[in-house]
Amino acid sequence: METRRLVLTLTSIFVVLIVLLGGLTVILVAGGGGDDTGDTAGDGNGGGDPSGDANDLGDRIEGELRLFGPDPITLDPACASDAGSAEYIVEIFSGLVSFDLDLKVIPDIAEDWEVSDDGTVYTFNLRGNVLFHDSSRPVSAADFKFSMERALNPATQSTVGEVYLDDLVGAAEFADGDADEVSGIKVIDPRTLELTIAEPSAVFVEKLTYPTAYVVDEREVGDSTCFEGNWTLTPNGTGPFKMEEWDLGRKIVLAANPRFHLTPAPSLARVTYILSGGSSFVMYENDEVDVTGIGINNIETVRDPNGDLNADLREGPSLDVFYIGFNAREAPFDDADLRNALSLSIDREFLAREFLLDLVEPAKGILPPGMDGYNEGLADIPFDPEAARGLLEQAGGAGLLDGATILTSGQGATPSDILQAVIAMWEQELGIAVTIEQEDFGLFLRDIDDGNFEMFSLGWIADYPDPQNFLDIKLHSESLNNESGYTNPAVDALLDQADGEVDEAARLALYQQAEELIVDDMPWAPLYHGKASYLVKPYVDGFVIPPFVIPNLRYVTINR
Amino acid sequence: MPAGLATYILRRLLLLPVILLIVSFVTFALGRYAPVDYVEIQAGPRAQPETIERIREERGLNDPVPVQYVRYMGNVLTGDLGVSTRYQGFPVEDVIFPRMWISLQYNAVVLVLTFAIGLPMGTWAAMRRGTWQDPLSIGVLLVFASAPVLISIPLLQWLFAVKLGVLPSGGWSEAEYLGVELGLFSKHAVLPILALTLPGVAGIARYMRGQVLEVLDQDFVRTANAKGLQAGVVVTRHVARNALLPIVTILGFELAALIGGSIFIETLLGIPGIGLLAFESIKSRDYDTITAIVLVGSTIFVLTMLLIDIAYGFIDPRIRVEGSIS
Amino acid sequence: MSYAETSPTPFEAEPLKNPSYRVLRRLLRRPVAVVAILIIVVIYGAGVLAPWVAPYGFNEADFRNRYAEPSLEHPLGTDNLGRDLLSRAIWSAQTTVIVSVAAVLTGGLFLGVTAGLAAGYAGGRTDSIIMRAADTFASVPTILLVLIITATLLPRIVELARDVEDLTGFDWIVSSGMPSYFLVFGALAIFGWTGIARVVRSQVLALRQEPFVISARASGAGTPRLLFLHLLPNLTNLLLVSFTLSFGGLATAEVGLTFLGIGVQPPHPSFGLMVSEGVGLSNVREHTTLILVPTAFIVMLVMSFNLLGDQLTDVLSPRHR
Repeated sequence: METRRLVLTLTSIFVVLIVLLGGLTVILVAGGGGDDTGDTAGDGNGGGDPSGDANDLGDRIEGELRLFGPDPITLDPACASDAGSAEYIVEIFSGLVSFDLDLKVIPDIAEDWEVSDDGTVYTFNLRGNVLFHDSSRPVSAADFKFSMERALNPATQSTVGEVYLDDLVGAAEFADGDADEVSGIKVIDPRTLELTIAEPSAVFVEKLTYPTAYVVDEREVGDSTCFEGNWTLTPNGTGPFKMEEWDLGRKIVLAANPRFHLTPAPSLARVTYILSGGSSFVMYENDEVDVTGIGINNIETVRDPNGDLNADLREGPSLDVFYIGFNAREAPFDDADLRNALSLSIDREFLAREFLLDLVEPAKGILPPGMDGYNEGLADIPFDPEAARGLLEQAGGAGLLDGATILTSGQGATPSDILQAVIAMWEQELGIAVTIEQEDFGLFLRDIDDGNFEMFSLGWIADYPDPQNFLDIKLHSESLNNESGYTNPAVDALLDQADGEVDEAARLALYQQAEELIVDDMPWAPLYHGKASYLVKPYVDGFVIPPFVIPNLRYVTINR
Repeated sequence: MPAGLATYILRRLLLLPVILLIVSFVTFALGRYAPVDYVEIQAGPRAQPETIERIREERGLNDPVPVQYVRYMGNVLTGDLGVSTRYQGFPVEDVIFPRMWISLQYNAVVLVLTFAIGLPMGTWAAMRRGTWQDPLSIGVLLVFASAPVLISIPLLQWLFAVKLGVLPSGGWSEAEYLGVELGLFSKHAVLPILALTLPGVAGIARYMRGQVLEVLDQDFVRTANAKGLQAGVVVTRHVARNALLPIVTILGFELAALIGGSIFIETLLGIPGIGLLAFESIKSRDYDTITAIVLVGSTIFVLTMLLIDIAYGFIDPRIRVEGSIS
Repeated sequence: MSYAETSPTPFEAEPLKNPSYRVLRRLLRRPVAVVAILIIVVIYGAGVLAPWVAPYGFNEADFRNRYAEPSLEHPLGTDNLGRDLLSRAIWSAQTTVIVSVAAVLTGGLFLGVTAGLAAGYAGGRTDSIIMRAADTFASVPTILLVLIITATLLPRIVELARDVEDLTGFDWIVSSGMPSYFLVFGALAIFGWTGIARVVRSQVLALRQEPFVISARASGAGTPRLLFLHLLPNLTNLLLVSFTLSFGGLATAEVGLTFLGIGVQPPHPSFGLMVSEGVGLSNVREHTTLILVPTAFIVMLVMSFNLLGDQLTDVLSPRHR
């Protein structure tokens, strides 16, 4: 009887499996006791020996910091274009200069540098004691030339090389394949590197803090491109931490670089990033991670002065601005009165305080607080529906905005509460109905680049803490990133003047003037600036979430 | 093995490449037809349009889609599944197979649990027909069967991770046992297994109950009962044959739905399995990874279906092979 | 687990000749069935009559009254934007009605039944072509492909719809979410017809051996006549159960698809949207009603369809004749 045989077989399979599962339960109960939910059954299991390298999340070693991190796209410094990747790269690799936690440029592999009188030639003197992680050899000027040229080389297929290194003389020719080398990068001797830029720039050195200018090991990297080659599994960098393990999509484990050349040298023995999981807030509560960001839903629990978590709360600035952009090229949004009417009917104070529960600061201009050149004295943008209605009448009436749409990214997801609130305010105060159109992020970026929108909502986060990064890049009429198509010759003139100004105070003053003109014209309705709100376990000292990506782990110590 | 079965299997196997060719081309072409490609998505807002265009050209993205497809399939035939762009630079096989292993682990346990609990439970309920136990157990099961995992997971998370604090809220961790990376022995595996097993058990048990009732009402069982045979013996002997066939079918469907089904559970629980990877790959237009996942998924499906057919042939040789799963 | 498949429940090849009214009468004698039908009628009815029944508009937001507790004014409380949850649920029911009816009509009924009838009746080459096509379609991981299609085709279809708007002056096409409805449920239809086609085909194969069909054919009945007068009526009961079950499945499918961002587009409310707005763990923790409200509706609805399906099977089953 075939049937009986089959039934027998199936039954026995089930029995075996049930026994196995029973065993599993026993192991779980035996090995998983206690509150540490990250614990695995490894120790209690007699059948198998847990791996010797103890990399599972269960065993925490002394001096280990655990973080919930973004799943990076690439760890190749020449290729990374997103903050999620840069976060790891700045710890593993390093460059000539870097930022400290006060957002000041500090020497890194370079010991110091001189700038020529005309502000175009930078001579960097390299430290002699900087070794690659494998200790095989010291970093030399030639390594920098290789690394920067690699980022610019069209064969590398990096989308960001030109963005951050375009100041260098000869960079464009090299990137277009018209030159064999970048003439602006000269190796004077192994410890001296000379960089020449076309025009003096106040932000050139700051741009060198970006991973694109970091040094990589030629012998390891070879001719791998951004899209071929996985040498980043074992990157031979020069940063404060070295890669111990990268389990794609699951975890990244970094270990301190004992020979790191800056003080403080890293004191953490190991940093484990968990790349996937449920809620990082719950992971924090269950002691699986040592730091977590706080979302809108948890902030009230955390702020409760009697709660357990209140003492762990930290806050800091985040150099960003969230705004609604108008298409200033086309009617009706080419009219500053109409744009101001829309802006004046947004109750920013209510949005920031009641709606986002003080997790953000209401914006009064473009530049975020905490950035050099932030204008404390700038007047708040008032919530003045009366004036708004007047301006709208003047511009031609609410009829102009019939069927207006606002473009936002995130196809299918619920649009952000804040955007819906803004639209409801417009409806309430001005009687206009604006529709939200959502698009996939890539398409959204393309559409706003092409000026294919009426309004859009977006945020901008600093690449480096300088007003140039906001005003020049986003609102200069000739900038690629000026999505609003805003043109004001007076603003352009001020921005150009600031770009060449050597005196820091005068430069910042010029930016402030430009910002005032911009706020009057309102090509954007800035809504708010973010704040970093996060929890840090009491035994973790010195952990700060910087306002943009800065190597911050070498300042952290664990005191259990 | 009946001679007809062998030719049948052969015919189905010959059909496999055809199916894969169609499926892969559709996936491939659809990906390329998207308005925005991976270069543009990853370039971010600051990259220059000329740079993007140049990279596109160099990577062959501007070639006609059929040309790109032939090139891709050529590589696939030589065992090269391409490179991922979600994990830039990594070969696709290095990316998808570890992920698939994770999904496979918890899904296999779910499948086993589902049947191991569901079959006896359904039988039990049927035998208790007429008592209060039957409607009660079936009612409870029905609630589980009616709640999509999408809803049950947050509630389970809330209960176990927040309220009781005994399980992690998501994620996955593995340790090495006898040289194999296994995640099943970790607390991380409990939530996904629980969330998938509950509705699964409900479905199977309800189905099994119906089957058993059907058999119990048939004349030969009544006769057997009248002859004084124990009800349990009768049921196991006779229900088995009638119920097993459809259950094998369901088993096949569950296996085949693995990739699709894991998308929800993995995005909700942050399990780095194949479902989450598929979802992310589509979002970041990681063409080669998507196509590879679809190819592998379809292969698994077709082979599973074939196995079901063969199993049918063994379970009940009377069944005409052609059209047996119809 | 797999929601896109039509329920794979196989049916015994048994011609069922119960006229529908008798089935209905027998069904109405069962309290469980009556309760199930009542729940379905109430939820669907509320959905159809949403503009009149719902106390508030689906997008009527009152910012100063967010996350309100249930009260007389808002029987189920309000959500993150101060919208009335009861009204959102009622409008969501409307979406479910539209989606289910559209999907069953396009996917299951037309494609599935036609293909199944054709394959079963014609046999031979037609049969094997249709069934191989079914194999191919079924072997694709459906959700994945629907995801891909939405990511790739949706923007283009929306573009197209915008052009149509510009041409015709109807400016509600895109904002009503119609392109995405069409695309998603079109895609589900293309991949979802195989289950019902198989069931229908096997029934037809069985029916073909029945004396009444053989004699009808012998007496010279034409193919259409044979199909529609003799075969189809014998399939109604089977289809009835299948559709009952698939209605529940579709309600679940909508939730899943919308969660993945490819179903009903906001701000148009749907249970899927309500679930995905309330699904985050911290949301569940702080504002549990956000997820409980849609959950209650969906579970009740799906459960009722399942119960009704069970009862129908029971009623139609030969042992209860």
